[in-house]
Amino acid sequence: MPVLLLGVSLPDKKLVRIALTYFYGIGHKTAQKLCSKFSIHDTCKISDLTESQLNAISLELNNMTIESDLRRQVRNNILHHRAIGNYKGKRHAMGYPVRGQRTSTNAKTARKLNGKWLKSFTT
Amino acid sequence: MQPTLSLLSRSVWKGPFFVKFPGLRQAQANNVPIKTQARSCTILPAFVGLKFLVHNGKDYIPVTITEEMVGHKLGEFSPTRKKFTFRKTKNK
Repeated sequence: MPVLLLGVSLPDKKLVRIALTYFYGIGHKTAQKLCSKFSIHDTCKISDLTESQLNAISLELNNMTIESDLRRQVRNNILHHRAIGNYKGKRHAMGYPVRGQRTSTNAKTARKLNGKWLKSFTT
Repeated sequence: MQPTLSLLSRSVWKGPFFVKFPGLRQAQANNVPIKTQARSCTILPAFVGLKFLVHNGKDYIPVTITEEMVGHKLGEFSPTRKKFTFRKTKNK
C-alpha cells in the first residue's frame, strides 16, 4: 500500500531518501537532509517508518515550499517578467531559451517547458 | 531564490549601478522622453513614470517605466535582435 503524504503517494518499497524526491521541489540533497534530520538510516524503506516519523516528516514538509506552492512561485516569477515585458519574459512567451543559449539546434528543454507556465497551470 | 544568484550579484556596499541623467527633473516635469544609450543603467525608484528612449544598437525604443520595473536594467526593455522572417522576393 502506498503511503499518502500531503497528496503525494509514496511507494512502499522505495527507500525513504528516494521516495521523498517524488515531491516537486525535493531532490536527492534535500531528501538526504530530511532523512538525517529525523535520523532515518540510508536503507530504511517507507514501509519501515513509524507513524510518529511519518507525522514528523509531513509536519516538516508542511513548512517547506514544495508542490503547488513552489509551482505557483515559479509561475509568478515568470509572469512578473512577462508583465513588464522584458527580454526574459519575451523569450518565455516564445518558448525559447532565456539565458542566451543557442536555438539553431538543441534548446529542447526550453521548447518543452518555456511558455507552458504562462498558458496552463494545474494545482 | 537560487543561492548562486545572490553569490554572483553585485556587492551591496557599491549600490546599484546607474548613470546620471542631467535632464531628469525637466523630463519629469515636461513629460519629455530621455534619449539614452545607457542600457546597463539600473532602473531606480526615482525613474517611475518617466519615459526613456533606449538605444538597441540601431533605433531608440520607447520605454515607459512602471513600478514593477524597478531593479531591472534599461536594456532589458529594448530588444536588440529582430525576429527572423522569410522574405518572399529577393529584390525588395
